[in-house]
Amino acid sequence: MTMDTEKLIARLAEVVEPVRPLPRPWIRMAAWLLVAIPYVALVVFVVSPRADLISKASEWRYVIEQVAALATGMTAATAAFASVVPGYDRKFLFLPALPLAVWLGSLGEGCVQDWIQLGPNGLSLQPDWFCFPAIVLVGAVPAIAMAVMLRRGAPLTPHITTAIGGLAAAGLGNFGLRLFHSQDASLMVLVWQVGTVFILTTIAAWAGHYLLNWRSIIGIGRGNVLMP
Amino acid sequence: MKQQLDDRALTTLMQAAQAGDTQAYVQLLKEIAPRLRQIVRGQRRFLKSEDIEDIVQDVLLSLHAVRATYDRQRPFMPWLIAITRNRLADAARRYTRRAAHEVQVENLPVTFSDEGTNIGSGEYRDPEALSQAIRTLPPGQRDAIEMLKLREMSLKAAAAASGTSVGALKVSIHRAMATLRKVLIKAS
Repeated sequence: MTMDTEKLIARLAEVVEPVRPLPRPWIRMAAWLLVAIPYVALVVFVVSPRADLISKASEWRYVIEQVAALATGMTAATAAFASVVPGYDRKFLFLPALPLAVWLGSLGEGCVQDWIQLGPNGLSLQPDWFCFPAIVLVGAVPAIAMAVMLRRGAPLTPHITTAIGGLAAAGLGNFGLRLFHSQDASLMVLVWQVGTVFILTTIAAWAGHYLLNWRSIIGIGRGNVLMP
Repeated sequence: MKQQLDDRALTTLMQAAQAGDTQAYVQLLKEIAPRLRQIVRGQRRFLKSEDIEDIVQDVLLSLHAVRATYDRQRPFMPWLIAITRNRLADAARRYTRRAAHEVQVENLPVTFSDEGTNIGSGEYRDPEALSQAIRTLPPGQRDAIEMLKLREMSLKAAAAASGTSVGALKVSIHRAMATLRKVLIKAS
């Protein structure tokens, strides 16, 4: 062993402190939901829930889409937390694929049904600029909580991790949005709401390297640990 | 020849290290350092030994920074290997980036015969005066000279060993060199 590495080991050992091992990814997801869900509920309450919410709860399409959006958020969060644990099976990254497919499939099927029933009028597209800021608002605290929690892990795949973390927050944001925003036309939801979710996911993926990188984590370690 | 500890023993040491056991942590790091060196050398045969050592130290620092991510119910080596592979990939990216910005030049002479380029070179030839001048430096500057000039450590390794930043070390070495130059010229 060279002298430098030996010295580094001695330094690291001098300053080693007890650490609490990170809980399993699904437990961390539950902890994240404990922060995120009350905030989403608060926003829905402040903006005021849609007037037809009770009747909507008995519409199977609305229920399937809401459950799928929530499940996408939850599975994406679990996958994101698994992706910052070294040695975890990379197959976990595909966890949100199934609920996401159900979500998109249900909306796609809705578009087909609208076209069959109403013809080309059923697929008309109007601007709905409210969706973007609303999803950002509802997803803000879940996204911040996600970023803070992800930074406690190892930045093994920064872009993928923040992309699925962003998908989790935006999915939850869309779930909240549909509790107060009365827009249920499948094509409109697909383009404006799911479109916003994918834009936010892309932005999160781009920010991955800034949010999660070894330099900052080891930098913090050096600062806390190696300074005499 | 020293027998290597098995994964279960390493797992036990890591669990103790997570609980703050210094002895176990030293034993663990000393046990894995040669293995890391072997893995890095196996994967990057073309690297010089100091570059291999840089990566090994990077892995040790990374392990230290994310030691909370180790799950006590899982084996230790796959966790360590995942970190090592990741740091190796980072090092490869760094190496490629650096190589892309490097300009190959011919091995030109270090100095020219013209007198103007050799001013003062004679004044630094007295090793006793030099070591005396180093002893008079403030502790931070003296450490910087010792690590970077006398022991020829890399900036990164010296920063880790001294617990300061690379930037602070650069400032210290610059000031130390200026002070030494002034002291030696005055003495001569």
